[in-house]
Amino acid sequence: MATEATREVSVKQSEVPAAEEREQVRTIVPPVDVYENNEGIILLADMPGVPKENLDVLVDKDVLTIKGKIAKVVPDNLKPLYAEFGAAEYERAFTLGADVDVSKIDAKISKGVLRLFLPKIEEVKPRKIEIQVE
Amino acid sequence: MLRSWIVPTDPFFADLERMRAEMERLFDLASPIGNIRGAIRGTFPAVNVGETPENVVVYIFAPGIDPDKLELTLEKGVLTVSGERDTSKEVGENPDPQGYHRRERFSGKFRRVISLPESVDPGKVTAKYSNGILTVTIGKREEEKARKIEVAVE
Repeated sequence: MATEATREVSVKQSEVPAAEEREQVRTIVPPVDVYENNEGIILLADMPGVPKENLDVLVDKDVLTIKGKIAKVVPDNLKPLYAEFGAAEYERAFTLGADVDVSKIDAKISKGVLRLFLPKIEEVKPRKIEIQVE
Repeated sequence: MLRSWIVPTDPFFADLERMRAEMERLFDLASPIGNIRGAIRGTFPAVNVGETPENVVVYIFAPGIDPDKLELTLEKGVLTVSGERDTSKEVGENPDPQGYHRRERFSGKFRRVISLPESVDPGKVTAKYSNGILTVTIGKREEEKARKIEVAVE
């Protein structure tokens, strides 16, 4: 019995996030370019400071969410003097049309720019219709 | 990172935050007084400056730029960064201008001028580009570094 009770308490404790995690971080909406061609949609997002391992691209039903956490670059003893940029995380979501093949989304991040390619389903790609001449 | 630069906000209000930033930018434009080299919000690239006991550190948020194409100069305590980013090249050959649904990212030439504290030593500069952030570390002059003064006990 005693072990049971102890376990329950410890479970509850682990559910309480540490003070560090509880502290809310400022999230910014990254600027994006969205370009469409016959093959699909290209999405480019400026997310400086985000390494590959801190990037999340999620698709839930028809919502695409991009998230990124900035890696620590600042030494602990740094005293800010002037700041234009004060975010720790990026997040932005988009609704997708039914014409995107979500199983084939390709994501890359390089030099702080996320590049997503959302291919279109084969059936919706534009086709040239031949006109028969009699 | 940037713990002391972070102002807590609920991530669910990201859009509201964007509106707030836009308002701030408008007020910035209308503000009767500002730093001569200060920038309005949304300027590319964004710049943060901080200092440690040994160095002055400048962070330039310049994603998607080839480090070879960034020009950095330091003269009389004034750091200048300039370069170019052409986002139309990123979507492939000859992008169709009609093909854009959204175009929010900065494209074109840029130049930022940053005044540094007088304590910097122009001879001690290092620059590194990582994940789209250019970090410039400038050493402080020896005589400007904070010194601990020993109190003699009689």
